[in-house]
Amino acid sequence: MPDLSGPLRVVIAEDHYLVREGTRRLLEDTGQADVVAAVGTAVELLDAVERFRPDVVIADIRMPPGHHTEGITAAHAIRAGHPGIGVVVLSQHANENYAFDLFRCGTDGLAYLLKERIGEVDELLRALREVAAGRSVVDPRIVEVLMGSHARAADAPLSRLTRRELDVLRHMAEGKTNRAIAESLRLSESTIEKHVNSTFAKLGLAEIPQLHRRVSAVLAYLRHAPHGPNGSQVPHN
Amino acid sequence: MRIIAVCGGLCMLWATLIGTTQLQNRYTLPWILGSVLPCYFAGLFIWWHAPSSPVARRLLLIGTWLSVTIAIRYSTSLLIRAFGWNLRPRPYALLLPADFGLQILSQSFDLIVSILLVRLLALLPDGAVLFPYERRILRALWGLLALPFLLPLTGMSQLTVHYIVFYYPEAWMPGLGAVLLVVRCLRAHAAGRRDVAALLPFAAPGAAILLARAASRLFRSWQGEQGVLYFVGAVLGALPYVSVSLVIVYAAFRHRLLGVDLVLRRSAVYGSLWLIINSWYLGMALTLGLTAGQYFPIGLSLLVAVVATALFQPLRARLNALAERRVFGKRLSRFELLVQFGTTLEHAYDLDRLAPQLATGLREGLNLQWVAVRLGGDGLPVSAAEAGERPAGAAPLGEFPLLYGEDVLGLITYGPKAEGRCTPEDHDIGETLARSAALAVHNVRLTAELCARVEEVQRQAAELDASRARIVHAQDTERRRIERRLHDGIQQELVALVAKLALARNRLHRGGDIDAALTEMQDDAYRVIDELRELAHGIHPPILTDQGLVAAVTSCARRMPIPVTVHSAESLGGLRFALDIEESAFYLVSEALTNVLKHAGATHVTISIARGDGRLLVEVRDDGTGFPTETTRGSGLTGMRDRIEAVGGELTITSGAGAGTTIRARLLERVREETRA
Repeated sequence: MPDLSGPLRVVIAEDHYLVREGTRRLLEDTGQADVVAAVGTAVELLDAVERFRPDVVIADIRMPPGHHTEGITAAHAIRAGHPGIGVVVLSQHANENYAFDLFRCGTDGLAYLLKERIGEVDELLRALREVAAGRSVVDPRIVEVLMGSHARAADAPLSRLTRRELDVLRHMAEGKTNRAIAESLRLSESTIEKHVNSTFAKLGLAEIPQLHRRVSAVLAYLRHAPHGPNGSQVPHN
Repeated sequence: MRIIAVCGGLCMLWATLIGTTQLQNRYTLPWILGSVLPCYFAGLFIWWHAPSSPVARRLLLIGTWLSVTIAIRYSTSLLIRAFGWNLRPRPYALLLPADFGLQILSQSFDLIVSILLVRLLALLPDGAVLFPYERRILRALWGLLALPFLLPLTGMSQLTVHYIVFYYPEAWMPGLGAVLLVVRCLRAHAAGRRDVAALLPFAAPGAAILLARAASRLFRSWQGEQGVLYFVGAVLGALPYVSVSLVIVYAAFRHRLLGVDLVLRRSAVYGSLWLIINSWYLGMALTLGLTAGQYFPIGLSLLVAVVATALFQPLRARLNALAERRVFGKRLSRFELLVQFGTTLEHAYDLDRLAPQLATGLREGLNLQWVAVRLGGDGLPVSAAEAGERPAGAAPLGEFPLLYGEDVLGLITYGPKAEGRCTPEDHDIGETLARSAALAVHNVRLTAELCARVEEVQRQAAELDASRARIVHAQDTERRRIERRLHDGIQQELVALVAKLALARNRLHRGGDIDAALTEMQDDAYRVIDELRELAHGIHPPILTDQGLVAAVTSCARRMPIPVTVHSAESLGGLRFALDIEESAFYLVSEALTNVLKHAGATHVTISIARGDGRLLVEVRDDGTGFPTETTRGSGLTGMRDRIEAVGGELTITSGAGAGTTIRARLLERVREETRA
């Protein structure tokens, strides 16, 4: 477990020079992050991870040579080799399927954020801390798509949730604490806690230890998210 | 004229009767059959049809006069025998007046026949005098009638008188008539009478033959009428009467000799010709038998007669066939029928024409009362034809189905024969024709199929050209749209952002607070990013490239404001198809969903993606209002079809008012590779 009180040791992998340097400067300006390496390809990223053992990695989803989903592949490799290193994948795709792809072997220590979030440094830093702590974050835009979607299987567990519980779950999926959710929804923290517990119960997560519940809730959400009867993109954890 | 005709008939009967029974004259029947009957009958026949025609009248007169002459001669002989008259050995002076009168009468009648024959031949074809010289010559001929009276008075021997009055005129007069006709033709040619001049090709050989006959008769008279020569003489003697009769009956029918309005029934004409030919044949056969009878014992002469009859049979058959063909046109013999149909069928591609040909040919060839032919069926239009009068409700005698393998390609039904019964050969021919016809129909079917395929290919080619043009056009339109969105949307927003940056800097220089301005600019930038993302997605959804069809369709479905269920087969999960196939399928779904939103007012959409038969099947079904597929020709639907057909797929659109719409595409399943998963 990294020391969360000091600056986070970060490796940035981004093939676009301006974005790479901009991100580095934004993060370093806050004083809460120490960018130990900034590289342009997935191969260099893996090499840098081996050499610098950072707390957390920021990886662009599209990198040379294929410009497809090298960032996700690299994230899986890093998580497999170094479970302590969190990975934030920055993506220009506001498409949930990429998030599913990223989370297909588990959500721990992984975040899927849209690239423009680098403009909101606070959000980015929060996500870095969450993944460094082994938790998970999904970009609100993705959650929005999934929540807004009408297409879902009738027997999905999510259909048993009330509207309010869905709202709470959405905020949970964004990685917020109960307090933060209460603030967003202008409700008391105890009410939120009630909703959270009933959500866990409805999703069959009551027996799972507290720490993982929230992640599991997000997973459950993702698993039953609307993509037809064939749910192959979202494996069970 | 009627009386004359009746007289002729009676005289003929009388002469036949007394000639065969009383006089035991063996030559009676041959002569009557060989010359008198043909002439009389032909005259009667055409006079019956054209009473006013001089040609008809003269022919009938000749026939009648021949009858009368022979009747008088036989009557004379009968009287001589009855009263003990005997003309030949006695000197001329001792003749009884009655005897003498009868002889002169007989000779005059012989002369009249010859003169009539000259007049008939010389004035063909219309029987009218064209040139003054004709009238003079023909009138002058009547002067010959004085000879039977005058010559005996000069003391000439009876035999000589007989030669001069009967023998030479009988021999030479037909030739004279034919020569006169030749002259008439030549002069008519000079005078511009083409109808008469046209006879020349027939008149000239006719004249030659008749003159030759006359010469040979002279020769015969020198040699004496004995044996074979007698037979030859008999043949030649009958020649003018038979040939003239035949020619005139035929010309009356074929060339409207008797007038343009006269229509003769073919069967009647053929019947007449048949009677003449067969009468002559019978006469000749009898003559031959009798000739032989003079020299051989009765058994041998019978044999000769039989052999002669057998020898002449082909000639008679040939003549009859010729007459039949001339009268009825080319009637088909069985083998001709087969041969002709063999040839016809080879080129048959029009069943509507083939059916009547087959029906008529079969009916005539087999001499059936009626034949009904039905061709086609089994996917072909049916052509039916009937030949002959089929009595209402008459059951067919039999039928030949047209079989090609297992297929029944038509049916021939037929009634009984006009005469006689159907023989096994008839049946075989019918069957053979049915087989050939089946082949022909099969041919037609193949041809039709080929034509349909060629048309289909041409239609497809044309459609391909059109759809290519539409695709190119659609691409151009799309490019322009992208260009507009880049220039008018994104570029403008970036320019505005730059302007806002400049404003913020100015404010900063003046020491102002630019925090709010920066937030605003950041929001603007986000908007630009969103728009850019959307535009890029419209050009090509990256999810399609990265994760394939099912993921892209699912993702697309999630963004729909109405519930969309996606069914996809398990096996499709990791499978990637060729890029163009995936793109076409995705755009089909995307376009169909857009249409559903725009037009259908649906509450639910189901998308199915499956594999089968080496095809990728994509179906988009909604529960919306639907539309009439026949009348709706939206460019959206056309674009969809073009896009699918461009990659070798097929598109079916099923819809109906209130029934929702189902769009189905069958695409070639070209697999690219397994995904990394």
